[in-house]
Amino acid sequence: MLSLQNIEKIYRTDTIETLALQNINLEVAKGEFLSIMGPSGCGKSTLLNIMGLLDAPTGGAVSFENEALTGFSDKKLSQFRNQKIGFIFQSYHLINDLPVLDNVELPLLYRNVSGSERRRLAQEALEKVGLSNRMKHYPSQLSGGQKQRVAIARAIVGRPHLILADEPTGNLDSAMGNEIMEILEQLNRDDQTTIVMVTHDENMAKRTHRLVRLFDGSLVSSNSFYNA
Amino acid sequence: MLSHILKLIWKKKKSNFLMMLEIFVSFLILFAVWSLSVYTYRNYANPTGLSVDRVWTVYLNFNTENDTLRQQYRELVSRHLKSVPEVEHYSFTSSNMPFGFSSSNGEFSYEGKAVLSEVMFVGDDYPAVMGMSFGPGRWFQPNDTIGGIVPIVITQCLATALFGNEEPVGKIIKEEESTKKVVGVAPYFRHKSSYQSVGNCAFQPLSKWDTDLLLKVSASATADFEARLARSIEQLGKDWTVEVQHMDDMRDTQDNTIEIPILILFVICAFLVFNVGLGMFGVLFQNISRRKGEIGLRRAIGATERQIQFYFIGETVVIAGFGLVLGVFFAVQLPLLRVFDVAAGVYLWGIALALVSVLLISVLCAFYPSMQAARIYPAEALHEE
Repeated sequence: MLSLQNIEKIYRTDTIETLALQNINLEVAKGEFLSIMGPSGCGKSTLLNIMGLLDAPTGGAVSFENEALTGFSDKKLSQFRNQKIGFIFQSYHLINDLPVLDNVELPLLYRNVSGSERRRLAQEALEKVGLSNRMKHYPSQLSGGQKQRVAIARAIVGRPHLILADEPTGNLDSAMGNEIMEILEQLNRDDQTTIVMVTHDENMAKRTHRLVRLFDGSLVSSNSFYNA
Repeated sequence: MLSHILKLIWKKKKSNFLMMLEIFVSFLILFAVWSLSVYTYRNYANPTGLSVDRVWTVYLNFNTENDTLRQQYRELVSRHLKSVPEVEHYSFTSSNMPFGFSSSNGEFSYEGKAVLSEVMFVGDDYPAVMGMSFGPGRWFQPNDTIGGIVPIVITQCLATALFGNEEPVGKIIKEEESTKKVVGVAPYFRHKSSYQSVGNCAFQPLSKWDTDLLLKVSASATADFEARLARSIEQLGKDWTVEVQHMDDMRDTQDNTIEIPILILFVICAFLVFNVGLGMFGVLFQNISRRKGEIGLRRAIGATERQIQFYFIGETVVIAGFGLVLGVFFAVQLPLLRVFDVAAGVYLWGIALALVSVLLISVLCAFYPSMQAARIYPAEALHEE
């Protein structure tokens, strides 16, 4: 589904050049639940950003469902992100001034979807994460785990093919983290949604199909199956 | 998207209130300035009904209080002027000549209706001097004064005020104790400044104490001729003094009394609007830097750069819209309540132009910060949060 070939990412300033990723070759299969681990600053988030088309690699090629994504316009990339990718962030990134339901509807605002259809899809997504009773609440009225569930609902409302989760349990205690992990597992299992998750938690990583490890911008191990 | 923007604005109503207030005040100021400008321009665009080109005003002082002597001196000056080829037309006039600083009003009444009007006492050749045009009727002649009824020419505005749609020529009207007969109508005669509204004015034959003089001179009349003419008139009598002014200069002086306050008002308004614009610009910049995470999120979930830019411009326009709705509510009271006796069209134009101006300022102020927002790198913005 997602293929990274010889990915290289260099951050340049006037005086310094930082190699964030080098020679990354990675294939993510359809329906796979992949976790990425590595120490802080090893390039995990950079890699996730490149996978999510939020950042462009300095070198190499990204293809998604056999379509090479090089030279795409901003409009095309945005459309691609909107329709095919869902994002989950460690700090949730909910808009505090909007109720839960509106937060979940957000990706559909950038599609030609009617208001009533947006509402219906958002309600469905919230039901899936067990938050249908919190639709009118504001994020400030929710616990961390509930916020992350809202973020998951927002990620799945557009029925993406791929979910990219950047430390989704990083801000949560183990019980809440476990709840979130169960939802992700369920999405992967029931809907065949491909998930790539960056985590610092070995236990969470063990629950995914495959773990790849990054160190100093390079893949040091991959294809280590825990739960194939 | 609009309901989405409205929800966010409503939730942040406290922080948006100040911007709405700024917009509201700016609208009212711009409405006042635009209404005044439209009113002034409309007046300016009206025909003046007179021509000041090569018209000179001659202030004559015969150095006598004796009215009989003054009339004789007037005759003397008339005879002299007829011998001067550069003087094409001339007419004596009361001191309230066009673009002067004097004014003389009379109250005319007709069938119980009383209307106040400027009254000018002028000679037979006055229309030729002033290049006046006529509607119905004609200018008065020396033999028009019969049985104590004085012939007068009135402006269309005065005719409408007195007679409505009735034919004005031949109507007998009263001015205090005297009786007048309308012999002609001048469609326009805007004599106070180029920006004067169409007003009431009546012309009647000279009285014995009117000694100021208006000349229409030929194109060959030079400054040297002006000096010679003044000297030659002064020499007609003992201790006479003559002062000549060009009527186009007099008009310019009067116009300046209108133009300069308007210009000052424009400068003050521009300064205020500039400050409001700067304020909006600053608020938007601050707003965007506070909402980097939200911008990053919107980009991640599929908003294009252009959509982000339009979103922030749209948000500013909607906030401005609230201030404008309030402003328009107050502004429309003026035509509804007929304040200042100004045509409703002037206020409506004022409202429209102020609306366009404020929206334009809002979009301009929002444009650059919104462009900056659109250029925020999503990966960085999400990381900053």
